[in-house]
This record gives sequence, C-alpha cells and structure tokens, in this order.
Amino acid sequence: MITDCTDPGPGVTEPVISASGITKTFGELTAVDGVSFKVHRGETYGLLGPNGAGKTTTMRLLSALSPLTAGSLTVAGLDVTSQGRQVRDVLGVVTQQDGLDTDLNPKDNLIIYGILAGLDYSTAVRRADAVLQFFDLTDRAKDEIDYLSGGMKRRLCIARAFMTNPRVIVLDEPTTGLDPHGRSRVWEELQTLKEAGVTVLMSTHYMEEAAALCDRVAIMHHGKILDEGTPEELVIRHAGSEVAIVRVSNGVRRDVVSWIENAGFDFRVSGTTITVTSGADGRPDLAGLNGVSVTYRPSNLEDVFLSVAGRGLVDE
Amino acid sequence: MIATQPNIQVAGFRLRSVAGMWFRHALVFRRTWWTAMTWYLIEPGAALLAIGLGVGQLVNEVEGVPYAQFVTPGVIVGSAMFHSIFECAWGSFFRIQKGAYETVLTAPVTVREIAMGDISWAMSRSIITALSIGAVAAALGWIDSIYGLGIILAAVLVGMQFGSMGLIFAAVSTNPHTLSLSFTIVATPLYFFSGSFFPISVLPDWIEPFVWAAPLTPAVHLARGFVNAQLDLTHLLAAVYMIGLTALLFPIAAYLMRRRLVK
Repeated sequence: MITDCTDPGPGVTEPVISASGITKTFGELTAVDGVSFKVHRGETYGLLGPNGAGKTTTMRLLSALSPLTAGSLTVAGLDVTSQGRQVRDVLGVVTQQDGLDTDLNPKDNLIIYGILAGLDYSTAVRRADAVLQFFDLTDRAKDEIDYLSGGMKRRLCIARAFMTNPRVIVLDEPTTGLDPHGRSRVWEELQTLKEAGVTVLMSTHYMEEAAALCDRVAIMHHGKILDEGTPEELVIRHAGSEVAIVRVSNGVRRDVVSWIENAGFDFRVSGTTITVTSGADGRPDLAGLNGVSVTYRPSNLEDVFLSVAGRGLVDE
Repeated sequence: MIATQPNIQVAGFRLRSVAGMWFRHALVFRRTWWTAMTWYLIEPGAALLAIGLGVGQLVNEVEGVPYAQFVTPGVIVGSAMFHSIFECAWGSFFRIQKGAYETVLTAPVTVREIAMGDISWAMSRSIITALSIGAVAAALGWIDSIYGLGIILAAVLVGMQFGSMGLIFAAVSTNPHTLSLSFTIVATPLYFFSGSFFPISVLPDWIEPFVWAAPLTPAVHLARGFVNAQLDLTHLLAAVYMIGLTALLFPIAAYLMRRRLVK
C-alpha cells in the first residue's frame, strides 16, 4: 500500500479545505466569482463543469500556485495566501497538463519531485519504486517519457503526487484525453486511494466520472458554483427520477420543441432526439404531446447539468 | 512517516530546493555529457589552435606574453559565457514551455529557488568548460603556473552573471527564435570586444570606458591575471564588479521568471 491515512491526525473535525468567497480575476475576466465550499477529511469532492467554468483556476488557487484576488481559502488549516509553501508541503497536486520532465526517465521524474518535496535521496528512490509498482509502471521506469501512452503519462503524474504520501490530493481533470481503458485504470486507482482515506478534490467534465468517484459534487458554470450535493441528491433535485427521450422527425421538430418550451420543461436537442427533464420529482408529463415516440430512462448527472446550467451549455 | 531532508533556509532559499534543481540538471547532463563535450572541446579547441598557433605565427608578443598565451584566458571565459547563457536561455526556456517548472512549483519550491538552481547549474557548466579548455591550453604550455587554477573562480563569476542573463532571455521569450538574440546581440560582440584577442588600449580612447564596463571584460582581465600568474588590486576590483552585476541581474531574472510562471 502506498498510502495510509487511517490515523486522522489532529484537528479531525475541521474541514480539510475551506473556501469562502474566493475570487480570481485576470484583467477584465473573472475566472472564479465568489466561490465557497468545504471538503471534509476523507471525502472525495468533485468540481463538475464545462471548459472555462473556472475549475482549473479554483484548483490552482487552492494549490497556492496562483494568488487570490479576493476571499479566504485554507487547506489543512493553512492560509494559501500567507502560507503558500506550507500548503504545498501537505498537498499532492496533479495539474491538468502532465508537466513531465522529458529529459528524465519516469523513475527520475519521481525521484527529482520527491527530493524537491523534501525526501532524502534513498527515501525518494524507495518511494519511487513503490509508487511505480502501485500504478503498474515498473516495466516502464527507464523508458523515454515520449514513448509512454497518454494513460501511462497520466498515471505517472498521479504517482508523482503520491511521492510524499499526502493526505490531501488535488486532481485537475485526471482522465481528460484518455481512452476508456485508460480512464477505467485511473478510476480503479483513485478508488483504492479513496478507500485508504485520502481526501481528494478533483475536477472533471465527465458526469459519469463524478458519479462514480465523488461523495459530493459542485456544479460550476461561469466561475460560480450553481449547486452542490451528493450526485443522488442533485439528480433528484434537478432532473427528477427519470427523463423523457422524445424522438421526432424533422417535419414536426419545431412544433414539438415549442410545445415542450410552453410546458416549461428543460430540454436539450441533439439531432432527432430531444431529452426532457422535469426539473422536479418524478418524470416529465408529456401526455399532451401526440404523434411522437416518448421513452423514459433514469436521470443522471448530465441531466442535472442540463437543468441547472440551462440550454446554453454546450461544451467543446 | 517518510524520512525527509533537513529543512535549511538561507536568505529565504531552501537549500534542498536549490540542490534538488541542481541535481536534476546534473542527472540530465549525465545522460548527454558526451555530445556536450564536443562543444566543450572542439569549438574552443579550434579557436585556441587557429588563433593561438595560426595568428600567433604572425604576431609576436602582446603585453609581454606570446600571442597564444594572450588569447587563452579570453577563449576560456568566452566559451564559459556561451555555455552559461545557453544553459539558462535555451534550457530554462524549454522547461518553462513543457510545463516542467509548473510541476516543480507544485512541490514546495519557489520561483527564486528554481532560478537559483538553474544559475548554480550554469556555474557548474561554466567550470567544466573552463577546466576542459584550460587543460588543453596547459598541455600546450600556454598557462604559466598553478595560479592558472584561478580560472575556476573566473568561471564561477561568469556562470552566475551570464546564467542570470540567460534566464532573463528565457523568461521574456515567447518563442525559441528570440533566444538566439542572447548570442547575436550579447555574447558574440562581447566575445570579440572584451580584450580577449587584442589589448583594449589599441581601441580609440573614448570607447575604452565602455569596453571596460562591458560584462565579459572583467572576466577576461581576471582570468588573464591567473593565466599569467600576475595579480594585483585591479583583479579584485574585476571580481567585485562581476558580483555587483550579478546582484543586479539575478533579482531581475527571478522577477521575470515569476511573472512568467505565476499568474
């Protein structure tokens, strides 16, 4: 086991991460706009939102990599503004870009990071062997970085953040750009770390990733948190238990859309399919809609997204 | 609990961070030293032989020493300058571009420590260069005595000063093309007009103060003192001047690096 957080340490009742009204502006652009949230010990908390929602900036503020414009932010009781270096002493950070050092092999990448994070050389070497094994990269320890697959590079980055056995880890889009196999490998490993009691703050724009890994999720859009809760709570609150899938032929699509609009439902059109959420309990009542095929399926986080962030939400 | 290094800080620099960065560069060098060695030896070796032996046949003594011995200190510190600038300009630029420094910053390391680590490595490269060429020159009998080892001191000062300058280029360049300005507008003119190949006294009087103020001139003067085993107060002054220039350039380099890396 590469990590052990069973000893909760001092201050167990305090939230590990506490953000209050944090704001970040870049010139005219407000990337993060008065965001507040708390993450408790051992919890996996997800920031869910499209590109440009402010997830990465939030995580950079939290990792003391970028100075706050306003608000207050503590990690493990340390203030990110005045104690930035100490915050990075306790955190493991996985940035969105791999940031691997291509002049060094994978093992030396880990060793150098370990030394910079304070390990002595022999400990760094032992630790590198342990994390390479946990992330199943031992065979590739001496390869050129450029020969690794995207999934392997990503796992190496996560491995790097575990060199110092941190209790809190910040992961910015851990699986973006990976194929399904690579993604499920990362999920498995994150699941194991979660079970070991590591506190995780992660961002993602994959709904199923948030649903699979996160205890609580915040939905971010345009620099704000629109709502927060467990994935189940959010689904029930915003999308009801089921959504309706309406299949229409081109001729009648406009009429059907205006009927749904008048009935006050949230909906999303993709090709000949319209997904309709009730935005409340149960499922949307489309009994008045004639001449089209309507089926129902259980709601998911994606439907919450549609309902909370509205129809203007088109990612990528 | 994981064993950690002692956490010693000097003037706000964590020694382990600076040493860690230096060690990273040394690890890379261990993989690539044999290609770098060609640059360490062939290029300055050619300059030394062509100018020392070739031109030396046409010129007799300059300032009381054979011409080959006269050019030796300039070729040594001039090459050390090119290597220090190269290491910090190109090396640091590509590490910024590839996001490698972004990763370093996720460890508890500051931008100033990254800059200091890079410059300490530039110093090491400068010393390796000076010693390689110095060995060739000594074998040819162009370095007088054991005082010649003093070129190590000159190399340290050259590494600090031109490493800082290289880092400034790395921090402000948005593409690798502008980096070459560090050679074309800085290093190459300095290489030829810092008293390396002819005495500064042959230049028009009004130019002389500018040449003396140029950053490579004191290095050539200092190295020449060691190579000829003739030292006086002016050599101390040259060293102090270079330390002063570095004290000016390093904070600028660190500031520009921070502006580039922390937004």
